[in-house]
Amino acid sequence: MADHLNTIKDAVIGGKHAEIKELVQKALDGGLDPGGIINDALIAAMDVVGKDFGSGKIFVPEMLVAAMTMKAGLEIVKPRLAGGASQPRGTIIMATVKGDLHDIGKNLVTMMLEGAGFKVFDLGVDLGVDKLIEQVKALNPDILGLSALLTTTMSEMQKVIGELRAQGLRDRIKVLVGGAPVDQVFADKIGADGYGANAADAVELARRFTGTHA
Amino acid sequence: MKINSRNLVMSAMFGGRRGPRPAAGNPTSIACHGLMDKVGVSFPEAHLNANAMAELALAGHEVVGFDTVMPEYSVVQEAAALGARVDWGDRDKMPDVKEFPNADFSDIQIPADVLEKPSCRVVLDAIAILRRHVGGRAAIIGKVMGPWTMSYHMAGTQNFLLAVGMGEGAKVSRMLRQLMPVTVAFINAQFQAGADIVVLADHATRNLVGPYHYEQHLLPIHQEITAQVGGPIILHVCGNCSDRLELFARSGVDAYHFEWQVDSREAVRRIGNQVSLAGNVNNPQALLQGTPEDVYKQARYAIEAGVHLIGPECAIPLSTPLENLRAIVAAVREGY
Repeated sequence: MADHLNTIKDAVIGGKHAEIKELVQKALDGGLDPGGIINDALIAAMDVVGKDFGSGKIFVPEMLVAAMTMKAGLEIVKPRLAGGASQPRGTIIMATVKGDLHDIGKNLVTMMLEGAGFKVFDLGVDLGVDKLIEQVKALNPDILGLSALLTTTMSEMQKVIGELRAQGLRDRIKVLVGGAPVDQVFADKIGADGYGANAADAVELARRFTGTHA
Repeated sequence: MKINSRNLVMSAMFGGRRGPRPAAGNPTSIACHGLMDKVGVSFPEAHLNANAMAELALAGHEVVGFDTVMPEYSVVQEAAALGARVDWGDRDKMPDVKEFPNADFSDIQIPADVLEKPSCRVVLDAIAILRRHVGGRAAIIGKVMGPWTMSYHMAGTQNFLLAVGMGEGAKVSRMLRQLMPVTVAFINAQFQAGADIVVLADHATRNLVGPYHYEQHLLPIHQEITAQVGGPIILHVCGNCSDRLELFARSGVDAYHFEWQVDSREAVRRIGNQVSLAGNVNNPQALLQGTPEDVYKQARYAIEAGVHLIGPECAIPLSTPLENLRAIVAAVREGY
């Protein structure tokens, strides 16, 4: 049983996207618990991938393929979970701020968060303050993740936090920020709850904020 | 050596005579609101009109005191000429590609007159204008995207990197090799128009890819590009690239323009005897949010480390205060 899980885990880490569906199917047919496959193989693999990315052992190309492999495996398992769906660890809105069309960092964080069992609403790029606030009200997430690649757009993050405060929403949501020009000093300055230097950091923070540490 | 801006820069490019002071140079854009206001030129006009483009570049030399003039502010001039749909932005926003024409990795059709397309022609005309105005006095720097960056624009960054990750080497190589002639032709045309130096900007940065990706896919292409062009080349790759400095030094370029995240002493120690180094004053913390004193200290650190051409690490944020840019000039004017 542990062998099956390790094989799936290694396949995700190694980005073996062509083999993953068959491996997961075999594990299910062999009677493995779907929840175990998710937590002990797929999510566990993305933890390793995130750490390898954070330490510079692998880079975005490998991470994209691992995330794609994990997703393909997840699609096979999900219908077999009791009740048809797993209980998410928490709900997160992800967006790149207004004026910024860069999405690769946000997409990686989104994939990693999904891989870690969170329900993620990816709102895309160039999201203005009003639209974001509207979605926070509608979706009532635990966390709002904001991304910016440009020094010219990072100040939008502060505007979003200011508006959350003005509308009395700030206390019911954690704000996570990231992107190339952003750092902890900037995050503290604008009053964000957390700064993730990379996708693995973001997952770690999301777990901490939702009290769902593995 | 006659001491003027151009000669100081050109000497620095080859590690030659030092003269009384280092040169202040900008291999990438120093366009900012302060300079736009000084000359009455703004974006997007300065991306699309040769006179406006040249005028804004001149301001970096005449108003701030840099030893270089560099008239290309965006990274999408080539992509626009190749048919990508570009949002040219505004005074507060740099241009960006809106749709990727070769997201399916279909063959890239390079128009026979690609350098005559308005977004390329404007750069060549601006360089020629600068040559007439400051030729021989200030160093004129051109800029061309390498095939890696152009692939981001033609296929989409995530799409292109996914192909790299999936090990689809043939697909990746075909796109790079289809784009390489555009880079070579545009570099040579910029030299012919009057550029003293051309920047080859190719964003194989550590934020996205590893040194092994660069070595496998891009280093051979950079070596071919540098063998085919007719003048001095500065390679620009932003991000923390400490893990691939020696690979860059093998690419055949004459200088490497680098970020603050790479310690300048370390960079000089490791590759300073093979290529010149340009940079590396921090943009977000020092130039944008810091004081002139912060900028001055970083510039002096770079000078003392032996960096050959002192300037911002990358294209500066548009709201960078002019007095912070001037602090770089103040640091170099103090001499060695």
